[in-house]
Parts: sequence; structure tokens; C-alpha cells
Amino acid sequence: MSEFSKSLAVSSSALAAQATRLRHVSENISHADTPGYRRKTVSFEAVRDVSGTTEQVSVGRVQLDKSDLTRMYDPSHPLADETGHYDGSNVDLMIEIADARESQRSYEANLKMFDQARQMSASLLELLRK
Amino acid sequence: MFTNLNVFQTAHALAVHAGQRQAIVAQNMANADTPGFKARDIAPFGEIMSVGDTGSGMRASRAHHLNGATGGGLMWETTTPNAATDPNGNSVSVEKEMLKGVEIKRQHDMALAVYKSSLNILRASLGRA
Repeated sequence: MSEFSKSLAVSSSALAAQATRLRHVSENISHADTPGYRRKTVSFEAVRDVSGTTEQVSVGRVQLDKSDLTRMYDPSHPLADETGHYDGSNVDLMIEIADARESQRSYEANLKMFDQARQMSASLLELLRK
Repeated sequence: MFTNLNVFQTAHALAVHAGQRQAIVAQNMANADTPGFKARDIAPFGEIMSVGDTGSGMRASRAHHLNGATGGGLMWETTTPNAATDPNGNSVSVEKEMLKGVEIKRQHDMALAVYKSSLNILRASLGRA
């Protein structure tokens, strides 16, 4: 595999990983008000590809955040117990937004690398034209 | 006389160096959020050229050498520069990698431009310009 196809493959694996991460973040945000919802987290891992020279990114197992659910006070809520509380979700919107921003930033950086490798190989092939 | 032209060799080595560095930078960038990943790099082309054949950098002289050399029997050692790490053990700085990316693009463009113009000179000398 040439260096260009290597770097294209690595960049696209990172794009896919960031997209998966963004999907989980948006899932978390959309479930911010779902009672009993635990936020999902993904971990990134460096994985060697078949040739054993490049380290691509892959998304590990989805894990649930084990932190305590927020106790919401609303006696009129159908799920409320005798003290008038019910379990909300443990999604913190601030963390999710920050995560989404980081993901977007990394996505853009990888897209730029992908485009650059593409341009470089295109200009190399341009040499063949007379 | 035209079998071993130095300009072409240097331009070729420069382009190969740019290609290899591009692959490494893309790898760093891809793993910018991977916990425990250490950023890698290879020495700048100028350093390698000034060191010459007896340098400390690894040179693969045969095709089946470890880490298979591609590109004119030249192989560059990857280093892991000491840099500040994030709390999760990752030492990639996206900004630095971006800067390296631009540097690589310019280097590659330069190599191709030199190659192309030398080719044009050869062509002109053959009367086919």
C-alpha cells in the first residue's frame, strides 16, 4: 500500500470514528430529559491494520456512564415516589456540547488531512499528463 | 549520461519523504483523541540529506528489510518527540500537526515542480518541447 492510500485510510477511519462519537453525543442530548437514561460514552482505540504499519482509529465498546442519576422534584410526575422525587437522566448538557465541539474540531482536521493527501496524489498523477 | 541524474534523484527523495511524513501526520491527527497515543515524526529532509549515507537514521538497502522500505531504498526512522501530554496520556497537538501538514504540502509541491521542470529541460534538449 502506498503512503497516500495509507494516509487516506487512516484519515477516513478517524472520520468514521468521530462521526460515531458525534452520533452518541446527539443521542445523549436528545435523551437529556428521558427519566432513567444514562449517558453513553465511547472510547477510541488505536488499531493496527493488516499491513501492521499504520495505526487506524476504531471505536471501542459503548459504555454507560455509571454516575448517579439526577433526582428531580416533581410530585405531580407519574414516576414520582412518596417523597415527590423521580430519577432523571445523568446527561450534563455542558459536557455533551463540549464533547460535540471537540469532535467537530477533530473531524475538520482529519478532513483537511484527507483532502491534502488527495491533492498530493492528484498532483503526482498530473506529472503523467504531458 | 542521462541514466543517473542527481536532480531527479533528489526530487524523488523529497517527494517520498513528503509522502511518508504525510502518512505519519495523518496517523497523528487521526489519533488526536485516542488515550495514550504518542505523536510521531520523522526528521526533516534537510537533516537527512546533510547527514548522508553514514547517518544515524535507518536506511533499508534491501526490499525485504524490516518495516519495508519504499522509495528508492530510503527509509526514515520514526521518532517520538517528548511533548506535553494531555491528562489521558495523548501527546498530539492538532495545531502542530496542521502546521506540519502545510509544510509537507509545500515540500511535495516543490519536489514535483522541480521534477517537472527538469523533465521539460530534458524534453527541450531532445527538441520536443
